Amino acid sequence: MSESDREGDAQVDVALIARWQRGDQRAATEIVGRHAQALARYAAAQGVREAVEELVQDTFVRAFNSIGSFRADSSLRTWLFTILKRLVLDRQRTERRRRNQVELDETHAVQEFDALDGMVADETLVRVKQAVDRLSGLQREVFALRVTEGLPYSEIATLVGSTEGACRVHYHNAMRAVKEYLSDD
Amino acid sequence: MTDCPNGLMRDLLPEHALGLLPAAEAARVAQHLAECATCRADLVLLKQVRAAQSLGVPRMDVAAIASALPSAPATSRPAQRIASHRWFGGHAWQYAAAAGLVLVVGGGIVWRAMPTGEEARLADSSRVVVAPVESAGVREPLPADDGISFGGGLSDLSVDDLQALLGQMDSVRTLPSSDPESVTPVIAMNEGGKTL
Ligand SMILES: [Zn+2]
Repeated sequence: MSESDREGDAQVDVALIARWQRGDQRAATEIVGRHAQALARYAAAQGVREAVEELVQDTFVRAFNSIGSFRADSSLRTWLFTILKRLVLDRQRTERRRRNQVELDETHAVQEFDALDGMVADETLVRVKQAVDRLSGLQREVFALRVTEGLPYSEIATLVGSTEGACRVHYHNAMRAVKEYLSDD
Repeated sequence: MTDCPNGLMRDLLPEHALGLLPAAEAARVAQHLAECATCRADLVLLKQVRAAQSLGVPRMDVAAIASALPSAPATSRPAQRIASHRWFGGHAWQYAAAAGLVLVVGGGIVWRAMPTGEEARLADSSRVVVAPVESAGVREPLPADDGISFGGGLSDLSVDDLQALLGQMDSVRTLPSSDPESVTPVIAMNEGGKTL
């Protein structure tokens, strides 16, 4: 996908929104199909392990209820990420209050992953996953947005509430930390 | 374990791995990769990271998610069409005068009521806003400075109506926002013809 493809991709989303606004419900399904899995990955990168689909569904419901506030100067996916992130923070706050429990820490994240039922994964990928899970929350988020979603630093900075320069540094530090972890075998 | 000294190439590798680079830039990265074993190893690692980050992520059920979404807006607004025919009736000069009043006075009020940030946003008319369609059937994305519309047509408005409209305009302080904080609707839509 080239830059113009990326732009074309954004235009596809804008056209789908317009179709939905004209009464075509199938356009909504297409939008969900285009972004649901990326939202699930983004949720996972933030340590969400439970009720991921419910979270993604809530994200879309909120998005469609306030579609008028979407401006095409960022991608629809980034806008959806923003909504999901707020929901994750709300959920974490609620859970902390309810169970008086600290945020998912690194050890917990790794244990959750190791305990995944019936998971048969390549051993190398498991090691890589462990390396990523050991990053700090912010590093992991920037790393995921850059490596897995390919977002430009400008949009990553908006999402994580930082600057492009800082995000670039987080990415490179994360890369270095992952390589160090893997070379320690 | 070392880092490639070419910072630009290191920076571009994730987008290269995802095929997001324009052709010319992708060719430059490919040429660098042919000469740099460190970046080749990094590229392999990036692909592994992508695969690893999908591990344990449940497959989303698109149909189930879509079934929970709000219904698409309705598609007809006959009152507006009727009103637009009446515009060309025998009292066009009255309507023209009313339109002038709304545009000059109303526009001034809205501009004055707007916070500074909004002024800057409106000034940037090159930006495209996906506007809500309310009940209209065929509304395409609008320029950002089209903040106000009224669906009933001026022909429906008496002097009293115009006064009421101006009063409503005075109370409009916000336009659709891209503020990520805002995940609730920010556009007021009413059932009647006059939409603000
Ligand atoms: Zn290199």
